[in-house]
Amino acid sequence: MQPSRRAPARWLAVTALVLAAAGCTPESVTEQGQAIYNLYSLFLYIAAVVFVVVSGLVIWSVIRYRRRNDELPTQTHGNNRLELIWTAIPTVIVLVLFVFTIQAQNKVLDSPGEADVNVTATAFQWSWRFTYEGTGAEVVGGPETIPELVVPVGQRVRVKLVSVDVVHSFYVPQTLFKRQAIPGVTNEFDLTFERTGLFHGQCTQFCGLQHTDMVFRVRVVTQGEYQSWLAETTRRGAARQPGT
Amino acid sequence: MATTELPRPALPEAHHEEPGGIVDYLTTVDHKKIGILYIFTAFGIFLAGGVLALVVRWELAQPGLQAMGENTYNQVFTMHGTLMIFLFAAQVSTGLANYLIPLQIGAADVAFPRANAMSYWLYLFGSLIVFSSFFVAGGPAAVAWTAYPPLSTEYFQGTGMDLWIIGLSVVGIAGILGAVNLVTTIFRMRMPGMTMFRLPLFCWGVLVNQLLILFAFPPLTVAFVLLFMERNFGARFFDVAAGGNQVLYQHVFWFFGHPEVYIIILPIFGIISEVIPVFSRKPLFGYRAMVFAFFGIAALSFGVWAHHMFTTGVVYLPYFSIMSLLIAVPTGIKVFNWIGTMWRGSITFSTAMLMALGFILVFVNGGITGVMIASPPIDFAVNDTYFIVSHFHYIMVGGLLFGMFAGFYFWFPKFTGKLLSERLGRWQFWLFLVGFNLTFFPQYLVGLDGMPRRIADYQIERWTSANLASTVGAFLTGVSVLLFLWNFVVSMRRGAPAGDDPWEGNSLEWVTTSPPPHHNFHELPEVHSERPAFDRRHPPSFPGEGADTDPERDPDRG
Repeated sequence: MQPSRRAPARWLAVTALVLAAAGCTPESVTEQGQAIYNLYSLFLYIAAVVFVVVSGLVIWSVIRYRRRNDELPTQTHGNNRLELIWTAIPTVIVLVLFVFTIQAQNKVLDSPGEADVNVTATAFQWSWRFTYEGTGAEVVGGPETIPELVVPVGQRVRVKLVSVDVVHSFYVPQTLFKRQAIPGVTNEFDLTFERTGLFHGQCTQFCGLQHTDMVFRVRVVTQGEYQSWLAETTRRGAARQPGT
Repeated sequence: MATTELPRPALPEAHHEEPGGIVDYLTTVDHKKIGILYIFTAFGIFLAGGVLALVVRWELAQPGLQAMGENTYNQVFTMHGTLMIFLFAAQVSTGLANYLIPLQIGAADVAFPRANAMSYWLYLFGSLIVFSSFFVAGGPAAVAWTAYPPLSTEYFQGTGMDLWIIGLSVVGIAGILGAVNLVTTIFRMRMPGMTMFRLPLFCWGVLVNQLLILFAFPPLTVAFVLLFMERNFGARFFDVAAGGNQVLYQHVFWFFGHPEVYIIILPIFGIISEVIPVFSRKPLFGYRAMVFAFFGIAALSFGVWAHHMFTTGVVYLPYFSIMSLLIAVPTGIKVFNWIGTMWRGSITFSTAMLMALGFILVFVNGGITGVMIASPPIDFAVNDTYFIVSHFHYIMVGGLLFGMFAGFYFWFPKFTGKLLSERLGRWQFWLFLVGFNLTFFPQYLVGLDGMPRRIADYQIERWTSANLASTVGAFLTGVSVLLFLWNFVVSMRRGAPAGDDPWEGNSLEWVTTSPPPHHNFHELPEVHSERPAFDRRHPPSFPGEGADTDPERDPDRG
């Protein structure tokens, strides 16, 4: 056993992996998600430093102080000053992190005034219905169809989230945001997409047999495209369901 | 050597000789045998849960459904979580505690030997009830181990769910009974001189862990009873249409669920705090701070449950966030004090010590990501993704298993009189360390990229490499567990004789024979510090070494 040779290699590998994680958060495509991304990055850098320092200390001490002879080392029972220091430093760190948390949270959950687009997202086993308030436009998914939530870029979209059966969760990875759809609870949140594109979405709260298949997409389009899509969808909806 | 007369414990009658046969184990009220029964049962369940984990990994290695349908997959991961969390994780420590607590406090048995036996048999039969759900029509529950209604009530038919509820309720009651016994034992059965502040840290870990059980298991059992009534008797506690409340279940469940994490990990902290001083040949650094940290963690653990519910949109975020963040402080104290113990020590790399070091590294990793998800906005992003799966497996698999194996390698000689093979142990350690990190580190990455947990399949190609790595790692971890089993079999047959005190231990179990006699001790040394076995090897020659001269820690307790 030669820990002195193997341990540093392990340390380096682990550190490299921790740092690699930094590159793996998706950049957010919403204004609100950007605040989460920034907060996550802050946490990650502090976490990486803490991890490197702590594991460095562990590995240093086991290499430096491995048993060399039968002499009994000095029997120290503690050191109040040191212990106070390593109580105080983590306390300060988490309090600072808490302040940044609150700031970010206020940005994420802020929903000032009226939104530009109001959509009710209804979760059910095992798909989604998106109803555009005040327009009659509706998109419904099913076993064979993946529903698409179409929204305009740069505008504030307010999602009203409800469930008609069990608990689900609305999650679009690239918004860095999710919210549970709970029977009896109406959850509201705002998403302001900053660029156009097609984004994957999925239920993340286990909801029964076909939970895996409960996916949807978000298509972010320009304002003009959105208006024509809305008109078309409203017209088709009215034509398909006369009188209902 | 001065000896102290033992307090007369309420010794159960009869069989002072040790027949050791099956009948003996079926009827025993000896805490050591009950401890062994607990450990074997929990380890058997761990193996079953581990096989289910490998089934999950097998299915997820590639996109597409290869090995099974969605229903089977849902049952497999539900039962994996159920077996591991409810039937293995807390119970294996209870087994070690059963065996070791009376030895460490210098008692002949636990306070309530019969209740102790009953608690084990309830645990076994509760577990068997849960297992029986594999054999009923419709199979076992497929609702995730959290069993949120209305999925677990109105939407999941089948007897499997009812057996799940009944079995786990029985196990919950067993846990409460066991906790009453162990708490009483630690408070009332200590030998003269063994003051609270001379208890080995493992005893403190178990004491606080069992106190947590006393507060956390009753709400859980209540939640299960309510579920059962809602399923079978038309009660509608969680049904919105009847004025019930789904979120109420989440609150009650997590009021148990978060302390459960500490219920699982505190005895492990205790094990680590025993192993590191012995193999560093130094006393534990900051003993009292370590004890207070236990209580700090325990107190905070009851104020953080709703961080599992940040994404419900109906909890007050700042309170649960700050409480969750603050848990890092007492936990950090523990880690730094372990480092302080090793600092300027004389460290031997036995397998037990390697496992303890592995524990610190992976636990710090899991703890740090725990701080991240204590922040609600970050949790909005990663909740219910593989990031969370990885986080808690770093705590549960990394933390719990490294700590458990540290304990096994450390105390196996005491249990059997034989040493486990150190050579196999080192192989197991390195294989486990590599396999474990290969399994779970990629899950952080794929979780950040948005892969949800509890899905049987994924269509997104770029998630494949991480999942494949994870699967390979899981099977390596499986091999390392097989190595342990092999080590166990080989060492039971022809392990090197251990003697009474192979590691130069600190606490009282090392002064008795290996294995200990039925009544635990033929003689006991006087206790003047938290390291009576150390004091016996190194009689204090001058103040400040060995026996504690701090007047606060005077042996004359009330």
